[in-house]
Amino acid sequence: MSTSTPPQKTLSRIAANRLQKELSEWQINPPAGFRHRVTDNLQRWIIEVNGAPGTLYSSEQYQLQVDFPENYPMEAPQVIFIQQPPCHPHIYSNGHICLDILYDSWSPAMTVSSICISILSMLSSATQKARPPDNDRYVRNCRNGRSPKETRWWFHDDKV
Amino acid sequence: MNSEAGGGSEEDRPRDDEILAFHHAIRAADAEKLEFVGDKEPLSVLAMEYEAGNPVFRAKVENLSQTYSAIRRARGDGNCFFRSFMFSYLEHILETKDEAEVRRVEKNIEQSKKALIDLGYQEFTFEDFLSIFVEQLESVLPGRETSVDIDLLVEKCRDRYISDYVVMFFRFVTSAEIRRRAEFFEPFILGLSNMSVQQFCKASVEPMGEESDHVHITALSDALGVPIRVVYLDRSVGADGKNTDVNHHDFVPTEGSNVDIPPVVLLYRPGHYDILYTRTDEDLSHVGRHDKVTGRQLVKEDGNAAAQNVEELNYVQAEAT
Repeated sequence: MSTSTPPQKTLSRIAANRLQKELSEWQINPPAGFRHRVTDNLQRWIIEVNGAPGTLYSSEQYQLQVDFPENYPMEAPQVIFIQQPPCHPHIYSNGHICLDILYDSWSPAMTVSSICISILSMLSSATQKARPPDNDRYVRNCRNGRSPKETRWWFHDDKV
Repeated sequence: MNSEAGGGSEEDRPRDDEILAFHHAIRAADAEKLEFVGDKEPLSVLAMEYEAGNPVFRAKVENLSQTYSAIRRARGDGNCFFRSFMFSYLEHILETKDEAEVRRVEKNIEQSKKALIDLGYQEFTFEDFLSIFVEQLESVLPGRETSVDIDLLVEKCRDRYISDYVVMFFRFVTSAEIRRRAEFFEPFILGLSNMSVQQFCKASVEPMGEESDHVHITALSDALGVPIRVVYLDRSVGADGKNTDVNHHDFVPTEGSNVDIPPVVLLYRPGHYDILYTRTDEDLSHVGRHDKVTGRQLVKEDGNAAAQNVEELNYVQAEAT
């Protein structure tokens, strides 16, 4: 499993300030079903996800890795599943997630918390556990450890 | 999973990351050619641009030069409306030294802030963007330690960090205004797309690089209380098929300030906005006066706007002569 990151510059002052504020807000009011694993690395967050009760992923646990670019939040963070990614029609076996808000539709108005809520909602609305149809080809093309932000995504319908 | 399955023909095609790197290179090359906002250029550069072009465009550019003297281009990266508005408005304050206007717009910013909070935005998500814009506003007033002149204003508006943060602040303000008055905007949004008001704001207002339409302009003008004129340079001709008058539409805020010519004048060519400079009063005295077209009726398509304005302008001109 590749957890490599793109070559990264350290956070700008404004990005670091912003992330501190997000972290404080998270500590007071974390999104339901998520737990931020405390480290001293502001630029990489590891977040535990608990599948929502009553869904296909109920009582399963997964891990998200969130890497922030130098100019966050103008630019989207890179968000992938690490360890065993959930089996889902929009999640590739290498942990990459096909979700528009992580790429083309990212807005600086979003937060880590709002990303988490979108990902949980994507998991919860799945009707079957399956990999995307193009999983093998896609994962093979990512072997050089490239970031999902370097993929030109064609977004699946948003019902799943 | 079978990640080692034999390589098919897709191996011969450029990979996504290569295609994206290529796109980025093109965009970077474009960026080097044009700043976020360019230099002020005489309007004759437009005439040169259309020298060998469509005759309707040529006639319209000729007409345009009777009312407007100069153009300042904005980079075509999907944020051109907001970047043009930013520069044009700040330059207006710089020239008029209108402190009362700054205090007035700051009150509107407070209203937008309340609207955002009422809509459920957490303050930390927009406060950095807000304060960067307020800093720019204060800097164009004279007599402060941080006061700027026109050259420094140009420099700041070309700074990626400042420009992007102000654009994003305008996107917040625009989104909040649309959502706050969802009932008013809904029919126009349905005319542009199949989205709900909230989806439209998430998909077409809040992400950077999403182009602006009448809906965005109306919302920003209303929220900040700043009238905006958009001058349309397109192929449309008047009802008689010959009229090449250049049409414009004035977006006048709900709480209407009554001005002859809005402080912000933008040139719209399909898909792009630039900044226009109006001739001074002395220059104008020999040219037929264009009256104000009310901005309250929002139009769904540029074609409609143009057609409507043709009628109104014809009427106004008939009155004037």
